[in-house]
Amino acid sequence: MTAISTSRAVPASRASRVLPRAATYVALSVAAFVSVFPFIWMMISSTNTSIDIIKGKATFGRAFSNNVANFFAQVDVPLVFWNSAKVAILATLLTIAVSSLAGYGFEMFRSKMRDRIYSLVLLTLMVPFAALMIPLFMMMGKAGLINTHIAILLPTVASAFIIFYFRQATKAFPTELRDAAKVDGLKEWQIFLYIYVPVMRSTYAAAFVIVFMMNWNNYLWPLIVLQSNDTKTITLVVSSLASAYYPDFGVVMIGTILATLPTLLVFFVMQRQFVAGMLGSVK
Amino acid sequence: MADVILKDIRKTFGVLDVIKGVDLDIKSGEFVVFVGPSGCGKSTLLRMIAGLEDITSGTLEIGGQVMNDVDPSKRGIAMVFQSYALYPHMTVRENMGFALRFAGQDKAEIARRVDAAAKILELGPLMDRKPKALSGGQRQRVAIGRAIVREPDVFLFDEPLSNLDAELRVHMRVEIARLHKELNATIVYVTHDQVEAMTLADKIVVLRAGIVEQVGAPLDLYDDPANLFVAGFIGSPRMNVFAGRVIGASGTSALVSLDGFADKEIAVPLQGPVPSAGTPIRLGIRPEHFTDAGEDSLSITIDMFEHLGGETFAYGRSTSGETIVVTTRNGRSLSTGHVLKAGFDPTRALLFAEDGKRIR
Repeated sequence: MTAISTSRAVPASRASRVLPRAATYVALSVAAFVSVFPFIWMMISSTNTSIDIIKGKATFGRAFSNNVANFFAQVDVPLVFWNSAKVAILATLLTIAVSSLAGYGFEMFRSKMRDRIYSLVLLTLMVPFAALMIPLFMMMGKAGLINTHIAILLPTVASAFIIFYFRQATKAFPTELRDAAKVDGLKEWQIFLYIYVPVMRSTYAAAFVIVFMMNWNNYLWPLIVLQSNDTKTITLVVSSLASAYYPDFGVVMIGTILATLPTLLVFFVMQRQFVAGMLGSVK
Repeated sequence: MADVILKDIRKTFGVLDVIKGVDLDIKSGEFVVFVGPSGCGKSTLLRMIAGLEDITSGTLEIGGQVMNDVDPSKRGIAMVFQSYALYPHMTVRENMGFALRFAGQDKAEIARRVDAAAKILELGPLMDRKPKALSGGQRQRVAIGRAIVREPDVFLFDEPLSNLDAELRVHMRVEIARLHKELNATIVYVTHDQVEAMTLADKIVVLRAGIVEQVGAPLDLYDDPANLFVAGFIGSPRMNVFAGRVIGASGTSALVSLDGFADKEIAVPLQGPVPSAGTPIRLGIRPEHFTDAGEDSLSITIDMFEHLGGETFAYGRSTSGETIVVTTRNGRSLSTGHVLKAGFDPTRALLFAEDGKRIR
């Protein structure tokens, strides 16, 4: 009797270990497929003609080179990429510079008003962009900045989310490093530049990836303020291709792939720092 | 090397008085240890000397110059922090030379000083490593090296050994003592570890709640504490304190009866006048002052032992339940429940008033 009950108990415990794991893998596989499917579909569609895409063809075709040629014929690719890169890189650098300074300041300097001001900054996260669009547009109009890239940069420079991110990360920055730097003769800005920035480089890398993606993919605000073709970014151009009277979806897919490549590149290059930054910079 | 003089130094955070008027005279070349329980203000006081905390009122002089509003880097101090505070993105060499590089020293001079400090601290093979590749003891040596290269007038140490294991702490304690002898530097050292204080200090400053309770040489504080707090804080295990009252005088000695030992009448010799009969007192006897022999003795029922090999701490209680600790070299022969006649020499017993002040 004893032997039988033991032999039954073993497979039961193995099943209880294997089944949850199998369920997890199935769930993860479904999630991975749902995440990757649009990208695969985009890749497949870029090789098909617009008619095949509309028909729902889900296999690779032979129209890739034709789609690429049409895309380059319809779009001034170097100019569009230059516009996007200029806006995304400048906005990212400015956002990180301003927001990291603010996050550092909020964490390092004690003041009676500090938490109140910080709460106000965080409150801005609750305001939807739709509520800001018209006032922002009027401000830019009065400043004569409509149809310039500065109009895209300015509203993104101080990001409440990135300030929050840097303040949280700064909590892990050892205050004794700041004290040691003061004893070594560094001024506050030097402590920030020579100690804080290098020590927090993973945090900066993670912030760079996040902010670069946000800015590269920025669509609504550039759509409002950029009106001439000379200033348009890749997202606007791809969108305009898709909303044409007779859109060529093969060409649209080529544009979408090209628009995706820089963000993928940034992510893969900075993948390790990104993960480290999300986990916490200071080791 | 320089003197450090604190005159009525005070520090408040909002309505909270943290340092309540400290007067202190630290001589050039002296090794002074600030000791006290957590929150007593010892680190705050050190940070005020370093310039990392503003001085609310009072005067701080280093080398004869008032330093209240002088930048930390211009006070002629170097500081070693509890967590070492090494810059993680720099190598040992860069860490040690960083302050000099910032001060505009030429490269040859920086290299000379860094190499000299590395030699003193035996850091040679570690110079190109980053802090994360060092052990705790090595990091501590680098932190000390970083202080040495600045050739400061005053070294400030903020609990530098707290993060080390017991063995390494003993080793580094010896290293710091050796360093003090070699450099003959003025050192202000903060610790809550009284063994560090007793072994390293020329002078100990005992702090409690932002007030200096007593300043003196380690053995002076041990032998002649000014109050019950100092008596309890210096010495391990803590001094035994018994409540009682004066019942009379015998020459220059006070005759004392203890509440927990009603049958006992102890004559404690005093230098000054004997308090009047009936005055409540506290009698202090250090655990290590109990002996097998002794003019007087107390009966103690043993509850627990701590065998340290060479000696044993025996924890017991009087018939009225007062806890007593006795240090004995014959611990192996004792057992729980054993009634011990702990003898003591009444001349080594210390008398305190009810408010804790010493009666000498």
